[in-house]
Amino acid sequence: MLKTNCPICDVQVTLSKNTEESEIISCPDCHTRLVVANLKGNTAILEEAPKVEEDWGE
Amino acid sequence: MITIGLLHTTIRGDEKLIIEAAKKRNIKIKLIDVREEILNRKTYQCDFEVALERCVSTVKGNHATRFFESIGVKVINNSSVSAICEDKFVTSLILQKTHVPTPDFAMVFNADQAQQAIKQLGGFPVVIKPPFGSWGRLLAKVNDIDALETILEHKDVLGSPHQKSFYLQKYIKKPGRDIRSFVINGVTICAIYRDSPHWITNTARGGVATNCPVTKELSNISKKASDAVGGGILSMDVFETADGLQINEINHTTEFKNSEKPTGVSISGAIVDCCIKVAKNL
Repeated sequence: MLKTNCPICDVQVTLSKNTEESEIISCPDCHTRLVVANLKGNTAILEEAPKVEEDWGE
Repeated sequence: MITIGLLHTTIRGDEKLIIEAAKKRNIKIKLIDVREEILNRKTYQCDFEVALERCVSTVKGNHATRFFESIGVKVINNSSVSAICEDKFVTSLILQKTHVPTPDFAMVFNADQAQQAIKQLGGFPVVIKPPFGSWGRLLAKVNDIDALETILEHKDVLGSPHQKSFYLQKYIKKPGRDIRSFVINGVTICAIYRDSPHWITNTARGGVATNCPVTKELSNISKKASDAVGGGILSMDVFETADGLQINEINHTTEFKNSEKPTGVSISGAIVDCCIKVAKNL
């Protein structure tokens, strides 16, 4: 388990051990969509997930 | 050991399921965030022969697919399939040309032509869609001439060039749902109903997924549509009409995370198995 903080509300966020860089998650407190921007060793940096763009989809 | 290059931008729940399915099969997945890559043929060091394109950005996914194909990597889905499926107008053209039942449609570039085309389609209501796009974004059900003029003027003034190509589709009255079938190289592995009181039934817009039995009719039309666009890993959006099933759209980087539970089928596993089969046949 890896602990880091939500960049929006600063609550502690726990990431599971199979978390991947670029993964989209939701903050358990403020529910902001976040992206795991950087994941190295025991350090994870979360950022607000990018907004949906015109070419996004299936 | 087989390594599958997973081309991605953000990693959604769907990609996580694919990663898990590969682990279960002892297949190595190399995650490639295409936004971080330098796609230079002269310098790129590639250590996999098969790639699965799962970018949420269609534009980036297309460029990555063409790049990896150019250096000899087999990409699923290939660029020909993607080029058809990413564009609703091209998909409709191919489906109609190959006699796969699909709603009537037309493409126009101005309001006068739109009015004439709507008469050809049997009158209002019609659906206007951007040729490119997903998740039910910017779809408009147009019920009368006033709404048509307003929407086209807004698109003309505010839109990008893509928004100034007006794809018109005959409105199909649905029984509160449509069907999505998941098709791998022509074989329908499972399907869901997408129930919604709204005429847009995408699960991204609140449509609820339940299991849909794979009937012979659904299996046949899904295979025909898959063959028409070149096969691969696809999902079909299917309308139930009085005249039988009709293919509405085809997705080439399909989302499925909400469909494994209701169907009881490991779609992620089937996707990985498809990649393994391709790798073994190289």
